[in-house]
Formats: sequence, C-alpha cells, structure tokens
Amino acid sequence: MSARPNSKRRNAVQSAVLPLAFGAVLVTAWQTGLLHKLLNTDEYVLPYPTRILTIIGENSDKIMENVWASLEVALLGLVFGSILGYLIAVFAAAFTKIGSGSLTIISSFNAIPIVALAPVIINWTKDVSPEAEVRSTVAKVVIVTIVCMASMSVNAYRGLTELPAFSQDLMKTYGAGRITEFAKLRLPNSVPYIFTALRVSVPVSIISALVSEYFAEYVIGVGRQIRENILIAQYSTAWAYIIVACVIGIAMYVLLIAAEALVLKKRR
Amino acid sequence: MKIVRKITGSKLFFTLLWIAALIIIWEVFAYQVEQTKRTPENVLPHLSGVVDSITSDKKINGSQTAFQMVMENAGATLSRAAIGYVIGIALGFILALVMSLSGIVEKIVFPYLMLIQIIPILGMAPIINAITGDIAASRIVIAAILTFYPVAANTLAGFKAVKRESHELMYSYSANKFQLYTKMMIPSCIPYFFTGLKISAPMAITASILVDTLQGGVGLGCLLSQSLKGAMTRYVFWDIVFFSAIIGILSFYLIGIIEKLLCPYKKLEQKGR
Repeated sequence: MSARPNSKRRNAVQSAVLPLAFGAVLVTAWQTGLLHKLLNTDEYVLPYPTRILTIIGENSDKIMENVWASLEVALLGLVFGSILGYLIAVFAAAFTKIGSGSLTIISSFNAIPIVALAPVIINWTKDVSPEAEVRSTVAKVVIVTIVCMASMSVNAYRGLTELPAFSQDLMKTYGAGRITEFAKLRLPNSVPYIFTALRVSVPVSIISALVSEYFAEYVIGVGRQIRENILIAQYSTAWAYIIVACVIGIAMYVLLIAAEALVLKKRR
Repeated sequence: MKIVRKITGSKLFFTLLWIAALIIIWEVFAYQVEQTKRTPENVLPHLSGVVDSITSDKKINGSQTAFQMVMENAGATLSRAAIGYVIGIALGFILALVMSLSGIVEKIVFPYLMLIQIIPILGMAPIINAITGDIAASRIVIAAILTFYPVAANTLAGFKAVKRESHELMYSYSANKFQLYTKMMIPSCIPYFFTGLKISAPMAITASILVDTLQGGVGLGCLLSQSLKGAMTRYVFWDIVFFSAIIGILSFYLIGIIEKLLCPYKKLEQKGR
C-alpha cells in the first residue's frame, strides 16, 4: 500500500516467495504420498513426480512428436481464428446494423460444446484428403479456428467501435475519409483489445486442440495420448503427457504476456 | 411504413436475418450432399429430418423414441453438470471472499488460479475419472473445477473494483468488517460474480458431456459415441448435437435472466447510459 521503496520490494518478494513455497509444499506432499492419502488414491493412478519426470526423459522423442502435432493444430487454428474473427469485427464495425446481429450469432457459437462441434466438423472434412493424417489435421484446425474466432470478433469489435471521446470529431476536422479513419484511429485503438481476446483464446486453443484429438481419426497429439494411455491403464505415461500439456499451456501464455508487454510498451 | 422501419431497424431483426441465412446455407449444402452421398444423414441431414426424428414416435431401441432416449441421458449428464456447477460456484465465491479478506492468501493462491485457467483441465478428464473411479463423481469434479476459476477470478475483480469513496464512506460510518462486506462489498461484486457464472455455465455442460464419452453407461456423451459408431440411427447423433448446442446457449442466457431478476438496478443503470 505505502509508496516507500522498502515495503514495495518486500511486497514483490512476498508475492514471489509465497506461491513458490506453496508449490514446494504441494510437490513434497505428492512425493511423500500425503497427497495420495488426501485424494484416497494410490501411486499407480497418481505416480510420484520423480517417476513422471523419468518417463518424460525416457520417451522424449515420442512426446515431442505429439507435442508438435498438437502445437501445429493449436497455433494454426489460433492464427486463422483470430484473423477471421478480426475480419468479422471489421465488417461488423463498417456495417453496424447488419454486423451486430452477426456478432450475436458468432458469440453464441462460443456456447456450443466442443464435444458436439468436433464430430460434426470431422464428418464434414472427410473428403478433404485421402490420407487420414491430413484430413484429421484439417478437421482439428477448423475446430480450433471456430472456437478462437468468437472471442476475437467480440473483443476486436469493441476495440474498433469504443473510441476515445472526441477522437472521431478530430478525424472529421482533419477531413479524414473512412479508410484513413480506420487505419489511423480504429486499427491502433483495437490493438489492446486484440490482446484481451488472445488472453482468452490462447488457453482455449490448446484445450480445444486436445479435445478435438479425442475424436479425430488419426491417433496423434498430446490429448489423444493421454486418453489412449488411460485406456490401456498406463497411468504414469498419461501423467507424463498431462504435465507436458500443462507446460505447453503455460509456455504459450508466458509468450503471449511477453509479446503484449513488448507491443503495448509505448502505451504505458 | 413507420412500423416496417422500426422492425428492420432493431437488432433482433438482423439476428433473425442471420439465423435465416444460416438455415438456408445449411439446407443448400444438405441438398447437395443428398445428391452425391449414399448416406446423406451421416454427413449433413436436412433440418426437417432432424425435427422429424425428434417428433416421431418410432421406438428405436425397443422401448424408447429418440427424443425420450436423448432426454433420459441428458437428465443424467445435466444433473451432474448442475451439481458440479453449484459446488464450483460456492467454492469460487468463498475463495474470492477469503482472498479479499487476506492479502497473504491472495498472494499464495492467485498464481495457481491463473494456472488452472491456462492448463488444459479437459485433457485431464481421463485421469480424474481414474482417480475418482466413478464416472458420476468425475463429472461433478470436473464441472466444479472448470466453474471454480471464472467465478473466483471475476468475484475477486468485483471486490477490487469497489470505489475508494465507498470505502471511505463505510469508514466514516465506522462499519465493522462484517457490515462492510454484507452491506457494500458483496452487493457491489454481484455483477462481476454473474459474469463468472455466464462464462462457466456452457463450460460445465461441455465438461460433463466430454466425461461421458470416456466410459460407458448413461449420459449424452456416451449416447453420442454409440450413435457415431452406428449402434443406432445417426439422427440420434444430430439430436444430441443440436440439443447440447441449444442447452449451452440457453444456459448462458438463463444466467443473464436470473441476473436481471436479482439485480433490477442493473437495468436502470443501462437505461441511464
């Protein structure tokens, strides 16, 4: 609360040390078997952290292959979905009357469970390619695209239309046309909103990539491996993939935060 | 003329226009598929076919019509989703309250709350199923975990958004902590709380259906995978797809309606703007 640098530093140290200490306690409880007693489970279903790490080390080649497959789907879907969502927002901002209705429809897509969406899309993309690997990838990318599109279009629309007071009047005094107004005012104004959308859609892109793998024809990807290994009761291998999935999620989020800090640096 | 202009000028009109456009596009493709495929209902059935399968009284597994079957399984899935949702809401709200009361708890827990949002919980569904050992319980647990984060994060944001002036006013009334929270903090965080509820309602339903697909038994997801494998008519699959889409969307709006009923003042604020 106070502005003294000393207490400020103590605050910063506290907010780094306390969560780390909590994490250490948690891992210790896990490793010593206390967590197993709490959750009423055994070390077979919930293996010790050291065992999971050993498995990750032993199978690193196979794990990386699946990681790249999942990342490819998540990133492609994220990029296509964000671009499409932004274009829809531009369209909606240009023709407000027709556009706002389309945004309502798009945002209601968000409420459709991925579990219902995935089999439908996989059905529709059956004829894309004779190879199972290619058509499964296409189907998964389309699913992630649809899921990511909604949050981008809603947020970008707000960025394109909720302008600072009098900025539009200023553009008018300059005699700026619609295109100049878009390039010099609306586009820059929407940049922070793009990041707001990405903060939602980056984790969502990974989750939907993993879930769409469950339904895909071709068996590959981190999500699918979790499920396949559970089915054959290889719980420690499944845990290895879960940990990897969490690391992917955290890494992508950290990258996003870094990119956001870099891009929005001048605005602070 | 005035009435026509009023109708065509409203937002609802354009939303309906878009829905109509979507239906037309669907039907055009359905017609196309009908001409070229041997089993068109596997890829893209006519909407009338889907409606027919819901209303027809033909028994598809000896004792139940398609509609009865979907409803019975939906009951099992949605009731678990609802229990998990309520547990998640309660835990999320309590945690937000504790974090707001104690800075240390907030510092410890908040990074982990962020983690829950970033890591793919749905990917963990199979392992939670293995730990709980019971599919009904794991539906509840996963729905609760997914609900928990948006509610906790939004409610905490609500507590923090209370204006400094309001705090000063309560201070000058010499309100104690209990009065501070019951009279000011909790009422003012309600809109934020509802934002969390709206985000998590479709997620809880998705989670519950997904868990179904992992194991046999009763449930929408289970029925969905059976129908996909060809154990029964493919229209059951389409019924479930439309049903879960509609339920997902409705759950979002339902929470919005509950919010309007509980917080009539919000409507006034919006009108005033």
